[in-house]
Amino acid sequence: MTELKKTPPVLKLEDVAVAYKVRGGEIEAVQHVSFEINRGETLGIVGESGCGKSTLAWAVLNFLGNNGYVKRGSIKFQGQELVGVTGENLRRLRGDQIAMVYQDPMQALNPSMRLGDQMSEVLTVHRGMKKTEAEQRCMEMLDRVYMPDAANVMKRYPHQISGGQQQRVVIAMALLNDPALLIMDEPTTALDVTVEAAVLDLIADLRREFDTAIMYITHNLGVVARVSTRVAVMYAGELVERATVEEIYKNPRHPYTQGLIRCVPKLGADKARSVLYPIRGRVPPPNNRPVGCVFGPRCAFIQERCRDQRPQLRQLPDGSWVRCHFAEKIDPSSWTPYDEIKTPENLQRDLAGEPILEVKDLKKYYEVRGSSLKDVIGLGEKRYVKAVENASFQLTRGTTLGVVGESGCGKSTLIKTIIGLEDTTSGEAHFLGFDITNSIKDRDRSLIQELQMVFQNPDSTMNPSYTVGQQISRPMQHFKTVPKDQIRAEVIKLLDAMRLGANYYNRLPRQLSGGEKQRVGIARALASHPDLVLCDEPVSALDVSVQAAILNLLLEIQQEYNTTLVFIAHDLSVVRFFSDQVAVMYLGQVMEIGPAEDIYAPPYHPYSEALLSAVPIPDPTVKQKYIRLEGSVPSAINPPDGCRFHTRCPRRNLLPDGGKICETEIPPWREISAEHRIFCHLPIEILRDFAPVVTQSTEEI
Amino acid sequence: MLVKDYMTRHPIMVTPETPASKAQRLMIENQIRHLPVVGSGKRLQGLITRERLRVPPTDLGSLNIWEISRLLSDLQAKDVMIKRIDLVTIAPDISLEHAAHIMIQNKVGCLPVVEDEIVVGIISEVDMLAELFELLGGNVAGVRVTIRVPDQIGEFAKITSAIAAKNWGIYASGGVPAPKMPGFWDVVVKVREVPRDDLVAVLKSISGHKVIDVRECTD
Repeated sequence: MTELKKTPPVLKLEDVAVAYKVRGGEIEAVQHVSFEINRGETLGIVGESGCGKSTLAWAVLNFLGNNGYVKRGSIKFQGQELVGVTGENLRRLRGDQIAMVYQDPMQALNPSMRLGDQMSEVLTVHRGMKKTEAEQRCMEMLDRVYMPDAANVMKRYPHQISGGQQQRVVIAMALLNDPALLIMDEPTTALDVTVEAAVLDLIADLRREFDTAIMYITHNLGVVARVSTRVAVMYAGELVERATVEEIYKNPRHPYTQGLIRCVPKLGADKARSVLYPIRGRVPPPNNRPVGCVFGPRCAFIQERCRDQRPQLRQLPDGSWVRCHFAEKIDPSSWTPYDEIKTPENLQRDLAGEPILEVKDLKKYYEVRGSSLKDVIGLGEKRYVKAVENASFQLTRGTTLGVVGESGCGKSTLIKTIIGLEDTTSGEAHFLGFDITNSIKDRDRSLIQELQMVFQNPDSTMNPSYTVGQQISRPMQHFKTVPKDQIRAEVIKLLDAMRLGANYYNRLPRQLSGGEKQRVGIARALASHPDLVLCDEPVSALDVSVQAAILNLLLEIQQEYNTTLVFIAHDLSVVRFFSDQVAVMYLGQVMEIGPAEDIYAPPYHPYSEALLSAVPIPDPTVKQKYIRLEGSVPSAINPPDGCRFHTRCPRRNLLPDGGKICETEIPPWREISAEHRIFCHLPIEILRDFAPVVTQSTEEI
Repeated sequence: MLVKDYMTRHPIMVTPETPASKAQRLMIENQIRHLPVVGSGKRLQGLITRERLRVPPTDLGSLNIWEISRLLSDLQAKDVMIKRIDLVTIAPDISLEHAAHIMIQNKVGCLPVVEDEIVVGIISEVDMLAELFELLGGNVAGVRVTIRVPDQIGEFAKITSAIAAKNWGIYASGGVPAPKMPGFWDVVVKVREVPRDDLVAVLKSISGHKVIDVRECTD
């Protein structure tokens, strides 16, 4: 139908440049951007942070703030110029025709208003609808975005629903006025993989149903592959490549796109057989872009012409657009890694070696205080949040244990308990033969020295007024691992290992980029030469190319010092790539544990299976089994009886009586092999019969 | 086959205060023939068609060039549009044939689709023709046969069962009362990937049916 009739594009950008006025001149954050989005189409916009993706989105709606403006070019929405539209006309456009969804749903919702009130406001203000009718419409829309128990949600405040549900409310709100254009800026970045998968499905459904044009901004190549029909790649404020989603992944033309794709581990890739190649250098700041090709300094194929002459966006015979002088001549297979990337070797680890950490039936409960009088005077029944329940595993020296699971399933509590930030409720944990279940106060200093941690957010774990050198030297002074007069030399040695160099010694955290801060965080964790490093989502907040660099660094360090790592991440491809052993956790319970390659192939625990089917894969030709978990993780105060996963398990009906046994009895450990165990009532034969979640489609698209 | 499936969602729209010259340019540039005029909240206020933008020469005859240019620059969308009160509209949940009936009766080429007075789309004769095109299998390769059958119950079933018996599939079909032949219906079927002569032989073998037209389409 749509192919039959030609309709004008919903949004058309022509040679747009956006500039910010700053002290001493102005900065062109975005330059020479042209593209169009048709109705019912999703254009994915990808690139590292600082490439001008969000600026572009704001420019469309004139949300640039006081100092920003569209300097050149035209932005046409439904054939009408948007640049320069102000006042009532702009307000009308924003409300009636264009809607936005941003990364953090909590910032889009008013925390002091009930959800029903804020949603119906959209209709009563913009459409002059009556209150009761508006509420009815809102309820229908909440049902449309698959919100469970919509009527109840309308009465709640934003903080009373989960992050995924908040984002659904924001999407429902954006769709209430049936917008022609929906701008989404990283709408799923803050969500769990399972919730993300549901939201992405929803976006695809709504696009078809409402014929909405969607501009989808993200840095995640897997997400782009799942939602987009076409992709635009941005680098340093310029559009460097534009093509259909299949073409971008199968046949990337621009060296930057090729680089981005080399940065992300494919699901199923592991460190022994594949290498991640970060793009060298970093995005140039907008006021200091090179004269020639903006990507030139980071490009492996750079020629004389690229240094002098800025390439134009041009169309190739196959229909894709690219901004490169030599797009036809570049053969990605001729690309060779830069010299400074050492390809780690001999990474296959023996899991049967000397155990360094042994955890048996480890439990961590938090007591919850009630607010009744009985509770206050201490007579009430004590209730507990069972954050970690019976965790048992062994870790061999020099290997990596990956821990995955949705948020709130006890991953962070587990490692905090091991490191001693939380005490243990019961169970055993031995590190190098020492008991580590006691309080950290009673721990020997040398034991503390051997256990270090890398945190997710380097910003909040670094003292902003200490220089990099001071941050890293502190553990050395404290544990006296290095004689005082050699500390400086040792710190510089570590900085070199992190590829930061001696000139970083006197810098303050605010002078570093996110990736550099995380490197300092890693250097600090390594300063005391620990045997075991616990990493809590060390790469989640970073750009793909920085992520690749950090992962390589960790691998190299692990090899050099034979360090043991516990690695928490929610990205299953990264965990697969990085770990030797993987534990899947759900509601405090380890559901499956085994060698990494075994977790990602049948037999699976039904929960692992669901997680795998939700992970976005940066390859549009890959087929994934469709499994979506319903609802969210139940409360840990009152976890379900029997198998904790039974309330959401899609596989329990394979058991007699629709899995009655799952509701009442705690499942047994099924031993698949010596190292691989699954915590499930389903017999091994049935688990083995599950079809693989991810299949490479054989036919070419 | 309802209006909401075939209408154009998110049509280009203008406000009543838009200069008529801008409306005219929008229509030409985007090759559209109908432009809904909406107020706040996308509430329908009128519709501009290309005809409405045609200024009769007699009106201009008495004016000099300065007066003409002033007249044109002062003209706004609300001055040239067909007013809401004179407009025929339709709801999204209506069948296409019903929409067609309304268009035929009112002799209009386009219906704004409204829900509570809010414009959700627009459906024009082109959309109707698109539906006809799809209904009859459009330019899909296959054999298109027209059969004249007696106007009684069970005749269409004879065709479908004869085709199904051969393990062929009907891609598209339609039936109308035979023009100027009371008591007969003309049925069109399109069958893909079938030898033309075999199909015709099968259809001819049904007693009382007459194959009146056979043509083969390629992609």
